[in-house]
Amino acid sequence: MASSTATPTEPFRFPREYYFPAFFTRQTNLTTHHAQLTKWSALVLAYARHHRIFRLSLSSAADSDLFYNRKLDRRLAPADIRELLDFMRKDGRAEDVSSSGGGGGGAGGGDVVFIHWRKPVEWARLIESYVEDTGQKGGVLTLYELAEGEGTRSTEIHGIDNEVLLKALNILVKRGKAQIFGQDDSQGVKFF
Amino acid sequence: MARKGVGIGAFDRSRLTSAHFASHGSNLRATNTEALSTQLSVFRSLLQQFAQTHAKDIRSDPAFRAQFARMCTAIGVDPLASSAGGGGSDGGGGGGLWAQLLGGSVNDFYFELAVRVVEVCSRTRGENGGLIGLRELTERVSRGRMEGSAAISEDDVRRAVGTLKPLGGGYAVLRVGRREYVRSVPRELGTDQAAVVEAAQVLGYVSVGMLRDNLGWEGARCRTVIDDLVSRGMLWVDKQTGGEWEYWSPSFMVDEDGSVVGD
Repeated sequence: MASSTATPTEPFRFPREYYFPAFFTRQTNLTTHHAQLTKWSALVLAYARHHRIFRLSLSSAADSDLFYNRKLDRRLAPADIRELLDFMRKDGRAEDVSSSGGGGGGAGGGDVVFIHWRKPVEWARLIESYVEDTGQKGGVLTLYELAEGEGTRSTEIHGIDNEVLLKALNILVKRGKAQIFGQDDSQGVKFF
Repeated sequence: MARKGVGIGAFDRSRLTSAHFASHGSNLRATNTEALSTQLSVFRSLLQQFAQTHAKDIRSDPAFRAQFARMCTAIGVDPLASSAGGGGSDGGGGGGLWAQLLGGSVNDFYFELAVRVVEVCSRTRGENGGLIGLRELTERVSRGRMEGSAAISEDDVRRAVGTLKPLGGGYAVLRVGRREYVRSVPRELGTDQAAVVEAAQVLGYVSVGMLRDNLGWEGARCRTVIDDLVSRGMLWVDKQTGGEWEYWSPSFMVDEDGSVVGD
């Protein structure tokens, strides 16, 4: 699983359902199953938020403590993980990583997904506020500066995944609030 | 009056005596009833004073509130009766004693609590099929509140659920085995279903074999009841046991002492 550079100070506190053996079996009752998916979705988002994980690789996640509770010896089966991600896709909380997007060297295809514990539109809002608060409107920043620069070190933006950043910036571009130029490693953005 | 008498005369005399006693008795009753109703109205106004003096305590202290409510019930006053028809100082149910005495604030308390109960039950129905432990419900209802607001007790929640009964929808408090639950769906638990819910209280789950061994039921009966509870959403299935499937009660996602299962 790809994660950011920031390391959390405290271990992730799993919710009660994580210790409920039946939580890891796909429920046969439709209503119960829906409640189960809702809880799993919340768990995945909370876990990803805590560890600042932007992309999830299904194959490696299946063996991680997210989907495998070693103590209980219960795991969410890969097929059920896929079903969960389909569920999260509908909410815009999961998104396929397109092979053209570059980065995240997983097996490609359907193995890697973005986990949007903060949606691109919310990132856009944060970036816009940051730019205003630091009086950088009308200025130019490189994508690198935004994601890894000293200026954002104390903010939520620091360590953001490059592609997620691009998605957020493109939202600002569509609103006429920014313009992206350059390419590959030296892309920059001008804010209006 | 002649004291002794035999024959017919005696009957007449005894009838006279009875009549005399009867009228004397009814006089007595009338006097007593009057005395009693005077006493009751004195008591009632004392109760009124008491409630007003201690209104704050009644609102903020669940134990005190429970005692007060129990006392009201004991003397035949329903603290939660609506005062819609009110105004009258009589009226068997006390005509909304709480509302009258405390200016509606305690009535509001139970009303708001009932609303919260409905919210929590709706929100959790997907995971528990409409059967939630009273303790868990109380805890969840307490969780959403602001700091410093009055503490909520299980007794409060029980009463709030009571106010929901007339609305239909099946709200009821029930006791199964060692625990109390709040049901928020109209369909009641059958005897077999209740037995399985009770059996699940011990380890958190049941299996066909466990029911067969402990309740002496045939396999088919065990499977039927389990399937029924699963279809009601009241049991979750665990297929990773390595043996028989195990069926878990969702109330074990919150353990008895509030600790997390498996810790």
